[in-house]
Amino acid sequence: MFLTEKKDIKEIDEALNKYKKIGIIGCASCASVCLTGGSKEVKEMEKHLAASGKEVTFTISIDEPCDKRVLKEDIRFVEDEINDTEAVIVLSCGTGVQTIGEFIGKKVVAGVDSKYIAQTEHIGEYNALCGGCDECRLNFTGGVCTITLCPKGLLNGPCEGHNDISCEVYEDKECVFMKSYNLLTKYSEEENLSKIFNPRDYGLSVKRTKI
Amino acid sequence: MRIILQLETPISENYIIFEENLIKLLEGVEKSGLNNQNTGRDFPQIILEQNFGVNGLLLCKDLKDRHGDINIAYAFNMRDKNRISILSDLITLKQIGIKDIITSEGIHPLKTVFNTAKPVYDIDILGLGLILKQGLMSSLSGMDINNKDIFNYFNFGVVVGASTAVDGLKVKKLINIGADRFIVNYTGKNLDESIMKYIKSEKKEVFLYAKESYLDNSPKDFIQANERFNLDGIIIKIIDEKTNVFTG
Repeated sequence: MFLTEKKDIKEIDEALNKYKKIGIIGCASCASVCLTGGSKEVKEMEKHLAASGKEVTFTISIDEPCDKRVLKEDIRFVEDEINDTEAVIVLSCGTGVQTIGEFIGKKVVAGVDSKYIAQTEHIGEYNALCGGCDECRLNFTGGVCTITLCPKGLLNGPCEGHNDISCEVYEDKECVFMKSYNLLTKYSEEENLSKIFNPRDYGLSVKRTKI
Repeated sequence: MRIILQLETPISENYIIFEENLIKLLEGVEKSGLNNQNTGRDFPQIILEQNFGVNGLLLCKDLKDRHGDINIAYAFNMRDKNRISILSDLITLKQIGIKDIITSEGIHPLKTVFNTAKPVYDIDILGLGLILKQGLMSSLSGMDINNKDIFNYFNFGVVVGASTAVDGLKVKKLINIGADRFIVNYTGKNLDESIMKYIKSEKKEVFLYAKESYLDNSPKDFIQANERFNLDGIIIKIIDEKTNVFTG
């Protein structure tokens, strides 16, 4: 799931300042799970806009607004209303916002902040485990990502700043390299303990965006 | 055992005044009698650490020009520069004749006053070691032969932890790629003696790096407390070159 957090409503109000007729699109997938773009949040936004003197032209929740195929099907339900809309608030991650903006050709306003790919512990409690960076090294680390879980993103850790088994930055957390060591030992993969990773090839992690 | 001082380059102070204070500080260390007189001059006397103060390369050059008899090491971290910028620094260091470098991963910006800064960590010190000692980047097109010489020019010092088995593994990897000197970060926790012994058994120099605050105003007591590690030296991080354990 891609984690999003609610934006400061003042920023949204400012972005909508010159627009009167507003549509609201929610995301029934990730943003719904993290309570930022589900039907409840869409309704809350509708109330807020109405109270601010805006005319809400439509509201809709799209299953996966980041998927053009789904978007194309679902958006048909509000096609006429979109024609009569000046700006659309999108309660989804940045990918959803941009996909919708490109598709409808209207001003779009991001209603949430995009955070990271998240593991859901409970609703409201999430962990970042994967940065989606490039070549996955999990097969050599006991299955924990040091790039994501080490605040310094080191390949060959630990850093000199850790305090016994604790992380230098998040002192209440175990250094990920200790965890990796324990897992490699547990799985009898000691050969990976001596592996030295070459510096990352950042040429591989440049996002391949079709412009 | 040698006492080596490490200082960050000055922020607001004029660098020439800083250099003059540095000379007085070095005299203070000599007067303390803690330096082993038999130790040769090949160890750096002073380590200039690049943080956000005056450019450390400029300071190294100026110190060498004005006080050629001072043996200087340059300390930098992986936090602030990417591989391109580090390479530029290394080429500059070679041209101004600084052979001793001390490298660390660097304190994360979140633990500094620059907590909104984007950290770099493009390469880690093992990655730098691969570049310096294993020729990882020596095939880059456009680099002439003279520049390729930089790859074996430096005494490659690395700052490491030495309290857990994972530290021991990192040390082993660093030895395997050719690190020359090991600077063990003292955090007040117990050091793993077996790691220290292992470094020595590999005929590598080992130093203990301690902030001045850990010395409790007595470098002598600190030295005695760590004698069992058979150290080549103790690196003391001095915060203020004018007022410290050596100058009062």
